[in-house]
Amino acid sequence: MQITGQLALTVLMGLFLVIIAAWLARIEDWRSYTPLGSGGAAGESGYISREKPAGISRWLTTVDHKDIGMLYGLYGVIAFVVGGLMIMLMRIELLDPGMTLLSNTFYNSLLTSHGITMLFLFGTPIIAAFANYLVPLLIGADDMAFPRINAIAFWLLPPGALLIWAGFFPLGDIIPAQTGWTLYTPLSAGVGGGNQANAGVDLMILGLHLTGVSATMGSINFIATILTERAEEVTWANLDIFSWTILTQSGLILFAFPLLGSALIMLLLDRNLGTTFFSIEAGGTMLWQHLFWFFGHPEVYILVLPPMGIVSYVLPRFAGRRLFGFKFVVYSTLAIGVLSFGVWAHHMFATGMDPRLRASFMAVSLAIAIPSAVKTFNWITTLWNGKIRLTTPMLFCIGFVSNFIIGGISGVFLASIPVDLVLHDTYYVVGHFHYVVMGVIAFAGFAGLYYWFPMFAGRMYQRRLGKIHFWTWMIGSNITFLAMIVLGYGGMPRRYATYLPQFATFHQIATLGAFLMFVGGLVWTYNFVVSWLEGPKVQDGDPWELREDGMYTNEWQWFENKQETALADGGDGDEEDGLVADGGEPTDE
Amino acid sequence: METYLSGLYFCSVMATKVFDRDTLLDLTVNFIPLFILVFFIVGYTVYNPFGLDSVSRILQYVLLAAPFVLLAILTYLSGKAIATAEKTSTVYMPGGATVDDAEPLEEREDE
Repeated sequence: MQITGQLALTVLMGLFLVIIAAWLARIEDWRSYTPLGSGGAAGESGYISREKPAGISRWLTTVDHKDIGMLYGLYGVIAFVVGGLMIMLMRIELLDPGMTLLSNTFYNSLLTSHGITMLFLFGTPIIAAFANYLVPLLIGADDMAFPRINAIAFWLLPPGALLIWAGFFPLGDIIPAQTGWTLYTPLSAGVGGGNQANAGVDLMILGLHLTGVSATMGSINFIATILTERAEEVTWANLDIFSWTILTQSGLILFAFPLLGSALIMLLLDRNLGTTFFSIEAGGTMLWQHLFWFFGHPEVYILVLPPMGIVSYVLPRFAGRRLFGFKFVVYSTLAIGVLSFGVWAHHMFATGMDPRLRASFMAVSLAIAIPSAVKTFNWITTLWNGKIRLTTPMLFCIGFVSNFIIGGISGVFLASIPVDLVLHDTYYVVGHFHYVVMGVIAFAGFAGLYYWFPMFAGRMYQRRLGKIHFWTWMIGSNITFLAMIVLGYGGMPRRYATYLPQFATFHQIATLGAFLMFVGGLVWTYNFVVSWLEGPKVQDGDPWELREDGMYTNEWQWFENKQETALADGGDGDEEDGLVADGGEPTDE
Repeated sequence: METYLSGLYFCSVMATKVFDRDTLLDLTVNFIPLFILVFFIVGYTVYNPFGLDSVSRILQYVLLAAPFVLLAILTYLSGKAIATAEKTSTVYMPGGATVDDAEPLEEREDE
């Protein structure tokens, strides 16, 4: 108790110091805002190039969509590293059939947090990072429709992450949740006491709720921005594919996340205030699953549609031709959006639900495969006879398509009830969805990070390291997830820290792949950090030479204008080397 | 081909001027999942091994009909919005409308 009190005091003092530091930083900035008393301007007053406060205050107070995009990006990347380190511990534990490195309960904690971290703290935010930075630029808007709501939506996320990870911090009796990311009742309702009755689960639920509120606020903002803030020239007929996917995704968030929020509140009430929504006599075991998956399946498409948008946007740039069947991709995106709400119970085929309902969910699950397949054919046909340049972002795009074919088709089998009954709860399912979330979603995220890196950083990354990153990940992910699919066919059940000795070989192969990805991750981190600080400066607004093929787009035009403006007013202090508008070097190929 | 197109025209009962041949061909991508849903609605009516308990029966059809109706509505609205924009304003490359000296695409689209 005493220790907790001291800890609270220390945190309070720390917070106080941060507030004072931020306040002082602001005072200093007010001076730099002030135009010269004589009415003179420009010169060295810093008025033109210092439109934002400097230092940490800029990042704490910003409502600029690009800054908020950067914050989302940093947040997503940190979460990705945390989630990645968690899985590395788990994969090391799985080298051996018995319990060796980690206790079974700690393995369960990591399992739960890895899932939630990757889906809610990495997946959704990294998409919001691209969307915040790029959508206003792509549609010709000055900023998001509600810049302050945009800022609030971001600032709800760090406390959300702290709450979700709270059990891992030394906070008295609080232990990490071990419910799995799906929080199935009655386990997560704390029935029977034990580890699941611990406050760590409550904190995690609260953290999840915060991230849900954040996502909902963001989605309202994106819908309003895309519907109302488009420049006159940007019509529905030439809205870019990334903005289309963000619009659809935001629609899905708007209908899915509030439901998750309500279900989480009900769960909290059951846990703490004695309500009986999910007790066996009332809602039973099925109510939670229906509510959760009504959110959970659209969540899959919330995570995958924008990455599909990134690939649909980036891949044609390096194929030298426009996206084949652009409108097919738009309509199929919308179709996926609608149908994604009609498939939720395919996660529950093995629960013993009414076979008639199950049959309907199977039908819609098979139907939703069509628009996804249509997109795949469009990407392939775009590459067909194209002038392909194998840059790092392009490699990630092609890796995306390849992984999506395996991840997607392995999912079509699961949509079929008889097959699902055999493979349910095995590593086959784990392999399938990891092909999608890692092989597809994360690959597209990294395609985007590499493609827009020159815009975000004003510098270029090291292309050789970029390619090493790609190949370690491409080979590593396929080794790991293919091994999982084989394990699943062999009957290896999900979620276990220990297993029968016959599964050892493929578990070890899976861990080998994970190590390859870990190495690739280190290469990526080094490349991005070093290049961000010291990479060669981008010399013009067309680092990918898109103009040559007539593929130049709005966001790069904005970047070019920004560079020209920087040249005209002498640039700001960060760009002491000066920028030239011509003579751009081919920086990657 | 003619019968196929007239069938598509029949699908869009109204506003045939907006839903011209090209637009309808673009929309075929969503007619396929709609067709799959109809296939199962008919299929489960003809062949139903699980008895006729009314509540589950109704739910079974609602689960198929609701996505069908919503998808049909969204396809119609989005098709109309895109086709109208194509006819009433200049069409640039998607994502390239605010590029300096952007060139319209319309001529190429008509081929």
